[in-house]
Amino acid sequence: MAEFLNIVAIGLLLGGIYSLVSVGLNLIFGVIRIVNFAQGEFVMLGMYGAFAAQVAMGMDPYIAPVVVAPALFALGCVVYWILLRPLQGEPMMQVFATFGLLMVLENVVLALTRGVSLSVNSAAAQISMSLGPVQMPLARILVLVAATVVAGALGWWLRVTLPGKAIRAVAQDRKAARLMGINVERMYMVSFGVGAALAGLAGCLLAPLYSMSPQIGMNFIMPAFAVVVLGGLGSVAGAYVGGFIVGLTEALAGFYLDPALKHAVLFLVFIAVLIIRPAGLFGVAGAEEVGLREQS
Amino acid sequence: MTLTRRQFGALATGAALMAGSRSSFAQGAPIKIGAVNPYSGAMAQYGDEVTRCYELAAEWANAQGGLLGRQVQIVRGNATSAQEGIGAVEQLVGRDKVDILAGTYVTAISNAASESALNYGKLYWETNALARDLTDRGLPNFVRTGPSSNEFASRAVEGAIKVVGAKLNKQPKDLKVWIEHEDSAYGTSIALEQQRLFKAAGVTVGIGSHSAKAIDVTDSILRAKNFAPDVWISTAYVVDTNLLLRAARDQGFKPAAMMSCGVGDTKETLEAIGKDYLDGILLVSYPRPDVSEKYGPGAGVFLRLYRDKLGRDPVAPQGMNAFVGMKILFEAIKAAGSVEFEKVIKAAAAMDKPLGAYETGYGVKFDDKMQNTRALPVVAQWQGGAVKAVYPTEAASEGVSVINVPRA
Repeated sequence: MAEFLNIVAIGLLLGGIYSLVSVGLNLIFGVIRIVNFAQGEFVMLGMYGAFAAQVAMGMDPYIAPVVVAPALFALGCVVYWILLRPLQGEPMMQVFATFGLLMVLENVVLALTRGVSLSVNSAAAQISMSLGPVQMPLARILVLVAATVVAGALGWWLRVTLPGKAIRAVAQDRKAARLMGINVERMYMVSFGVGAALAGLAGCLLAPLYSMSPQIGMNFIMPAFAVVVLGGLGSVAGAYVGGFIVGLTEALAGFYLDPALKHAVLFLVFIAVLIIRPAGLFGVAGAEEVGLREQS
Repeated sequence: MTLTRRQFGALATGAALMAGSRSSFAQGAPIKIGAVNPYSGAMAQYGDEVTRCYELAAEWANAQGGLLGRQVQIVRGNATSAQEGIGAVEQLVGRDKVDILAGTYVTAISNAASESALNYGKLYWETNALARDLTDRGLPNFVRTGPSSNEFASRAVEGAIKVVGAKLNKQPKDLKVWIEHEDSAYGTSIALEQQRLFKAAGVTVGIGSHSAKAIDVTDSILRAKNFAPDVWISTAYVVDTNLLLRAARDQGFKPAAMMSCGVGDTKETLEAIGKDYLDGILLVSYPRPDVSEKYGPGAGVFLRLYRDKLGRDPVAPQGMNAFVGMKILFEAIKAAGSVEFEKVIKAAAAMDKPLGAYETGYGVKFDDKMQNTRALPVVAQWQGGAVKAVYPTEAASEGVSVINVPRA
């Protein structure tokens, strides 16, 4: 029983990582209907941002989001305006553009670091807490807490605030939103910027857990796609809950079956959920088609 | 215009002089060695280091008068993948007119580049790529001077049985070992060889694998923890090795000894994990410049040459292995009196040098597949933030012995 509890705890903590990485990805998909392949690279940039903040200013990676998240927000806005806005109405081209962006970002960082893996340090990353038989690293608990706060805050912001309502209106019907006086282009840009900023936040909080490499973003993005599809495309709650489903599935399959089989099991669950509920657990049926329908 | 006899004589003399000078220039042209390695991308750090040490060896040889009366020149050919390896060979042979090819840090690149070199009738002198398959192919132009994956596997087994077993006062039949490996061909081939050798020695073995791209490896650590091994051995890449060590620390996994095979011995791991936790972790590694002079005569000189040229310590132990590989090539060329691959291979095959002949402690004796059977890695250990050779005992510098086994 103790062993089982330990594995469940590990699965939940891993779920926190996936949730945090996926929330921004799902926001971008939910509003702009772009499958952003470069989202993992934004996480990677967040990690390197935490490293740069530590080297340049001695900043702890848990404080670094104060600098890194706004920087990623600005980068997201610029990327949207320069790269994606001209391709509006061409969803496939936008997907390819994000893939191109992925390659550019990865290779630029590769050129700058020459492939040397880097690490950031924080006193919090050295602490592991015991709760009976369950061992939980503090750094992962902090990620879980951050994922919960971010999902809650983002949900609140989208529901209650005026910009949030505007974003939801644009997501539901671009044409009607424009007729209501909403600046659709600006809302798209803000959404992409917020999605990138959330990835930057995730990168800072994950930096003490990993040795950074320019390719690390790719490691996050594949499970993150599984999370958003499982949870429901465009749903903040879906990304949050989907993260835990993926984390628990991986931990249980990795421990009780074989770590080499955990991704096979995860994608079996993924296929099963899609067969039973094509829109994902929290998704709206048909939402995934909106991006393919022409909107003016 | 007509030429007088005197003018004709002057022209003829000039032409003869020019022809003579061209001939003597050709005789003095350098021996060009094409170094196929990754100089960009994720593996650039180590590819650069390997070639820097080829260049160091070339400078050392040139300072002693060169080879066959010619200077040695290293020409770089960038290859970050197998396909680029083929392109690099074509460029080095076609454009740069190299005489011999050497490499690499990466097995896949070596595999493709050496076959391409054979098409051009060039020798492929391998110093660092590990996979046993490279020599098992029996390629007629291929020689490997450094250890293969099998030697890394056998040294890890030797370290577990002779170093850890002795410290714990346990016979092989009483030892329990967990072998963890990343699940590509690199980790799997070494792990399976380790498993075979441990079983043959009567050691109880558990084995587990993980993806080098995994976001979390705590499940792998918990499986190992459940097995309660005396020794935990990992063969992985840098990033997942660091992740495994972090997970082990967080989960309070504390076997009597931990060992990392092939990686985990660089600044990247020191910065990620910290010197306190690393203290006592064993490493199966290329011999490093800190080996005793008795074991690796000239290791200190290598370190001085490196520091003089680059103003810092070597980035990774691959460098000295590359340096020695190049020295063995120079000796083979001298013995052959030629750079033609059949002659150099024949001369290399006849070489017979005992262990302890080079800076790395290697000797030279090639088997029928041209794998050097006297190139062996060492067991080293993290001690106070530095890596020190501890096994074979004669490799350890004065005053260095195994610490923190069993782990505190």
